[in-house]
Amino acid sequence: MSGQLLVFQVLNGIGIGMIYFLLSVGLTMIFGLMRFVNFAHGALYLVAAYAAYVVSQLTGTMLWALIAGPLVAAALAVVAERLLLRHTYAMPHEAQILITFAVALIVQESVILIFDPLAKNVPVPAFLSGIVFIGPFVYPAYRLAVVAVAAAVALLLWLVLERTRFGAILRAGSESSEMVSLLGIDVHRVFLAAFALGGALAGLAGALAAPLRGVEPFMGLEALGIAFVVVVVGGIGSFSGALLGGLLIGVVQSVMSSLWPEGARLMIYGAMALVLLTRPAGLMGRA
Amino acid sequence: MMRRRTLFAAGAGLLAAPSLVRAQGAALPVAGVYSLSGTFANVGDLLNKGTQWAFEHYGSAAGQRINYTLLDDQGDPGRAVRRVQEAMGQGVKHIVGCTLSSIALPVAKEVHARGGVYIHMAGADEATGSECNRSSFRWPGASYTAINATARPFIQRNPNAKRWYTITGQYVFGDSLLTNLKAVLQEAGQQHLGNSYHSLSEREYSGYITAAIAAQPDVLAICNFGNQTLDVLRQAVSFGMKRNVKIVVPWSTGLDQFQAWGPDICEGVYFGVNYWHGVEAPGNSVLQQVVRAKTNAPTNYLQACGWAVAQMLVEGVNKAGNSEVPAVIRGLEGLAYEGPTGTETIRAADHQVLKDYYLMLGKARSAMRDPADFAEVVAATKAFQPPEQTGCRMS
Repeated sequence: MSGQLLVFQVLNGIGIGMIYFLLSVGLTMIFGLMRFVNFAHGALYLVAAYAAYVVSQLTGTMLWALIAGPLVAAALAVVAERLLLRHTYAMPHEAQILITFAVALIVQESVILIFDPLAKNVPVPAFLSGIVFIGPFVYPAYRLAVVAVAAAVALLLWLVLERTRFGAILRAGSESSEMVSLLGIDVHRVFLAAFALGGALAGLAGALAAPLRGVEPFMGLEALGIAFVVVVVGGIGSFSGALLGGLLIGVVQSVMSSLWPEGARLMIYGAMALVLLTRPAGLMGRA
Repeated sequence: MMRRRTLFAAGAGLLAAPSLVRAQGAALPVAGVYSLSGTFANVGDLLNKGTQWAFEHYGSAAGQRINYTLLDDQGDPGRAVRRVQEAMGQGVKHIVGCTLSSIALPVAKEVHARGGVYIHMAGADEATGSECNRSSFRWPGASYTAINATARPFIQRNPNAKRWYTITGQYVFGDSLLTNLKAVLQEAGQQHLGNSYHSLSEREYSGYITAAIAAQPDVLAICNFGNQTLDVLRQAVSFGMKRNVKIVVPWSTGLDQFQAWGPDICEGVYFGVNYWHGVEAPGNSVLQQVVRAKTNAPTNYLQACGWAVAQMLVEGVNKAGNSEVPAVIRGLEGLAYEGPTGTETIRAADHQVLKDYYLMLGKARSAMRDPADFAEVVAATKAFQPPEQTGCRMS
């Protein structure tokens, strides 16, 4: 592999990594704040992607879809939390996994019933349908826009979590919900807000991914797989870990696509195994 | 809900099968093997509908009312074989269905061992090659056909495009497409610059596409199937490959994939397809009428495939004059009938249906005459390996 190709594969990997970050940050945030294992995270991504599809069909543009996707996913997260998931917070993780996985399957089957099992196209917004030249290589303008959105979301999330009262309450709630309760704060509402935020982030990832890969009913479970790899590599519950884990996985996958194409996917899991061997709590996780 | 109801109905139908066989001596029990759950459920439902509609349309074969039962294999070869064993144990001798070679090949062995007849739509060359048997028949063209009916006419139309790069799914079918393509390229004096394999679970292809761009090919061939083909082509187009590279997808399911890509991606891309709803043929007119009455939409490949295997069985039983398996097999061998692609013939030597395979070229959005008019047929070829080269030793 030439040096030029290697550099471009690293740049491409950073782009993939930012998309993976967006996919996994909601998942790691909910676990970090609530110690809740949410296997329905992929279902929120799926629902938002289909919402983006419907809105883009109705309006002829992706821009409204980018608003509708996160809103629909956040609404679904709130409904699921109020009706079902709040009753599972005290349960062991195994029960949470089973229940949220069931939710994911129900959502997936509902999508098949409402639409059909075939993939659908979501067009890239016309003004982002071109390509950007980087030396002898090209990069899709839409991907570049997704990377920019992911970077903006990372910055915004950091500011919300670290610099606002709401963020302080969330962080305090994750350390000791009883203490926060004693201070007169309704912890259940805090958790609901966290769940809605996590859902909206999954929804944003789903809506942004729709023009990249189309929509089909099984995309939620596939996304869940990669999101868990990123979260485990970065450290479960770590916001900065999701960013670092996403970038690492993206770069490994992209570079290996040239070095050892048939093993590129395998090396994602290889990288995860290596991280777990050397840092069992993940790159940024606390033991 | 409909899907669940279909499954319950199918289950109830299977449980009732023995009593039906006894109570209605004239009924012909037929089972369809499809994935209605699991990884490949996205295609199983449409395949099953095609089969179901065909049996509803024909109603009977050789005077026997057709009693169709669905077997959900859940995308699992072991489960498929067990479901077939159970059905055959309850008196079913006529089996149709299955696109997946990993399932169709063991099912074919099982049906043969138990003295039944099996008509499927699997893609691996082995199904009518080294793994052929007297009981099994295949409707679609396989990987040899797909490559020879697309690459050869493509090369004739594009004499200046000589440098090829391939992106291939690393599994039996992808490898089979690649092997056949390399042989055609070598014979035609074309240059194969390189290949990027990817795994069956891959969904992100930008790294492979970057490697392909770096090789500076004239042609990118995507040797793959299903949703992976959708993703590779979508991402290749998004990376601007259509600017200076011609893209060939030798194996596409046609209309349903074109709808998933949309005309902006399809435009200027070459596709190989086993079926196209726009082909004028008496058998296709019947199929179009039935599907349009059910869905108010043109027929896609999956529906056509499900229909075709059911039609073959009906035609074979009618030719035999009864549903006895040896007679049906004799009836099918050499049979010519009006199928979805025109006059189709079942080759006796390897039980492969000889039919057209189409090379299509994606149209611009402005050139589409209706919402399903995504591509034009630029070549229709019956490209099949001579029987003596298939490796089929009929047992």
